[in-house]
Amino acid sequence: MTKVEAIIQVSKLDAVKDALTEIGVEGMTVFEARGHGRQKGHTEFYRGREYTVDLIPKVKLEIVLADAMVEKVVQAIITSSRTGKIGDGKIFLSRIDDAIRIRNEERGDGAL
Amino acid sequence: MNTVAIASSELRDLYATESARIQQEFSVTGEGNVALAQRTAVVESILLRLWTEIISAEPEGPEGFALVATGGFGRGWLFPHSDIDLLFLHGDGGSEDAFKDSIRGFSQELWDLRLKLSPSTRTLEECERFDPGNVEFAISLLDCRYIAGERKLFARLREKTVPRLVSRESHSLIQNLGEITRSRHHKFGNTVFHLEPNVKDGPGGLRDYNVSYWLALVSAMEKLRVWPDPKALLPVSSRRALDAALHFQMSTRCFLHFRHGRHDNTLTWEAQDEAAVRKIGASDAEIANAADWMRIYFGHARAVHRVSAQLLEEIPAAWSSVYRQFQSWRSRVSTPDFSVVDGMIFVQKPDSLQDPEMLLRLFHFMAEQGLKLSTTTEYKIEQVLPSLASTPPRGAELWLYLQETLAQPHAADALRAMNALRLLPLLLPELKGIEALVVRDFYHRYTVDEHSFLAIEHLHRLKDSKVDSDRRFAGLLEEIEQPALLYLALLLHDSGKASPLENHVDASLQLTESCADRLDLDPVDRETVRYLVHSHLEMSASMRRDIFDPANVRSFAEKVGTPERLKMLCLLTYADIKAVNPEALSPWKADNLWQLYIAASNHLSRSADERVHAENNDATLAHLHSLAPVAGKKINNFLEGLPQRYLRMHSVSDVLAHTEMATQLAKDSVQLSLKQVRHWYELTLITPDRPFLFATVSGALAAWGMNIVKANAFSNAAGVVVDTFFFTDRFRTLELNIPEWERLKQSIAAVITGKADVSRMLQDRLRSDKATAPKVKISTQIEFDDECSAHSTLLQILTQDQPGLLYKMCSQVSKHGCNIEIALIETEGQMAIDVLYLTAAGAKLDHDRKAALEHSLREELDRKSAR
Repeated sequence: MTKVEAIIQVSKLDAVKDALTEIGVEGMTVFEARGHGRQKGHTEFYRGREYTVDLIPKVKLEIVLADAMVEKVVQAIITSSRTGKIGDGKIFLSRIDDAIRIRNEERGDGAL
Repeated sequence: MNTVAIASSELRDLYATESARIQQEFSVTGEGNVALAQRTAVVESILLRLWTEIISAEPEGPEGFALVATGGFGRGWLFPHSDIDLLFLHGDGGSEDAFKDSIRGFSQELWDLRLKLSPSTRTLEECERFDPGNVEFAISLLDCRYIAGERKLFARLREKTVPRLVSRESHSLIQNLGEITRSRHHKFGNTVFHLEPNVKDGPGGLRDYNVSYWLALVSAMEKLRVWPDPKALLPVSSRRALDAALHFQMSTRCFLHFRHGRHDNTLTWEAQDEAAVRKIGASDAEIANAADWMRIYFGHARAVHRVSAQLLEEIPAAWSSVYRQFQSWRSRVSTPDFSVVDGMIFVQKPDSLQDPEMLLRLFHFMAEQGLKLSTTTEYKIEQVLPSLASTPPRGAELWLYLQETLAQPHAADALRAMNALRLLPLLLPELKGIEALVVRDFYHRYTVDEHSFLAIEHLHRLKDSKVDSDRRFAGLLEEIEQPALLYLALLLHDSGKASPLENHVDASLQLTESCADRLDLDPVDRETVRYLVHSHLEMSASMRRDIFDPANVRSFAEKVGTPERLKMLCLLTYADIKAVNPEALSPWKADNLWQLYIAASNHLSRSADERVHAENNDATLAHLHSLAPVAGKKINNFLEGLPQRYLRMHSVSDVLAHTEMATQLAKDSVQLSLKQVRHWYELTLITPDRPFLFATVSGALAAWGMNIVKANAFSNAAGVVVDTFFFTDRFRTLELNIPEWERLKQSIAAVITGKADVSRMLQDRLRSDKATAPKVKISTQIEFDDECSAHSTLLQILTQDQPGLLYKMCSQVSKHGCNIEIALIETEGQMAIDVLYLTAAGAKLDHDRKAALEHSLREELDRKSAR
């Protein structure tokens, strides 16, 4: 099993959700996030005050998948969220030892 | 097998059979009170049998020991999966030791029968001891009931111990009950109107019914020192409503326990569907769907909540001197029409409520003072409603009271009270559809009407918020010219949610139109409310896109059009999201909202010079032509080359009036119109452009003692300017002297045509004005921007507002050979925020001119600040 963590632009959330639903991903967890990589901050002046946003709003998705699905999901996220500009985000993959469905204690891929 | 084991086996069978029978019967009748009584009786018979098997062969023995039902079991309200509250009551410690093992065996048998037991063991003396850490036990004794054992011992508990305890500790009991109740209500957002309410613990649920009863009981027992007549406890005026609510809620909770197979009191959407089909608690009602059934539920819950809230106020949470002083202070807000006693509003002459105006004033008073209506007042209102229904107030009079009420700090509470008494849907039938309406999504937590009231409440709360991010939005709210329109839009924004139309915004718009007719809103106000309702999802939609993308910001800002609308829409979005559920407006989202607001606000200031071209296919132009087909050419000539911003800032009727004024220029080269708009005056000037024009008019107004709070200046391709000045009349010259209106216009015309010297007029004024130290010190900021306009240099000045400021500033600009193409002048408190689009010889300002102008401006503004 693999955990996919994708940090994407807020504006791409709906597109990514649609793309994942289309390939059969039924569940995901979405977090409101802030951060920056190479895409640096943004400064606005309003009424003489400076408003600097050095951490840009992003959305983080977390999905745990059977290994067979991982590449398909990664491609779906890339295709639906890429603009080609700095700030498109990142995808992280990590190994998961096990998953347990609390309701019936089912384990492994079946619990996903 | 011993006798206990035999009994156990029989009792298990009995319990299973009887439980199944009760459930079966309930599934047919849906009568909750009957099911509870039956279950109570079954459990009681089991207890008695075990008592005779384990404790004493005689049901009324042994001496010095008794079995007492307390809490819900004591009341005879044993819901299918409720705990069974039992008290093992001993005469003294000796009995406690003697029966220790028997009690353990007795309890064990009950647990083996899968009955959920909540036992406690106390001596009579311990029962009289008040434990502040376990108030629940003292409260549970208020429902004590004899089951088995020594009757005399129980009689001593009920007739002596409990009255003594309650009389002695009544203040603590009521105070604790109040605290527990308030804390429980807080967990549920202090509202009855949840989409999936908890029928036991939620506000207006069964627990509130109990709290009302306990409060009344403790209060009466404190005075009488004996058990009062339970039938006379609750207010007569509310008793029928409470009885009906109790019957309904008992059936509903019973239904939920059977349905869920456990102690779960949440009225989920699925449960609501089933309850509606089975008409739970409301067999005689016409119920077409779950929404209808939920309306009945909310009606009952609201009645219970109202009584419990009133009793919590009327029987004070504490009798401290501070509390009394506070109440006494509140009573001082009484007026000749309304008196305030213990935080409750009474009407001095109850019959006066037959006058609709008095009724409206009552709710205005409530919204202003944050007080509750007394039961008597509510009863009186209910009595006058039928006669009011035939000719409800409407038109400007209704709007006058409504807008005053909406602007008061406790407007939401007043609206809730009006809604609960059915006055609000009577005055504004457009809101009927959303009354207690459950709309199912995973986002909203409250019914649609409560969501709207909560949104209004959140805006009012902004004023007192200490949270930094809230302070930003609070600042915007202070700048809004007509907050009442924003509150009205919030009241109506989801009014279409009851409509079968897929898009509730369209339905809300239709209802907004109807409401605007009813209130006889003037066309500009109507358009503002209409715009806000129509666009209430616009900003949220833009937040789902990239809020730092200039194209997104531009597209959003252009849809909004003007800074005033942007502020209103931003606040509406803030309140709308925040009222969805307590977590909906996360700091993340609030910050994104603010970022989008400032980006759009800056875009509007910096894109003001995009011009109107008559040949373009513009919706506003098309609308203008449709309104005045004969004037088509005149309109085109006038608008050609005016900034788009002009069209966004002026209503269609304004544009037509300006066009007409422009056609009169051949007869008189200075066209002026002066009118009073709400709390300020509006002077519009249409004239051929000339040097120092804007400065001159600003100076003349300042010389008359007028305080310019807002202004804008535009010019068209033919060199005709349209300048609008909004000012307040510091010395009430215009208000007190009607002839001065004409003299002011003549004076302005004179300075424009050079027949009067504005600088001399202004000197006289400034000399007579006493210099007062500013309350807030604003340091001057001057900024030039060549990027945001293709033709002009933008100059933004933020500085301390002072009489004559605009004249002095604009004079400096003109002295440096700059032409003011567009001026956008605003005042925020003591800060003047002025944006000028400047050209010199038809081009942007060069570096030297900018430096020289900045130097002069700083010198002028610093000199003024130092004055």
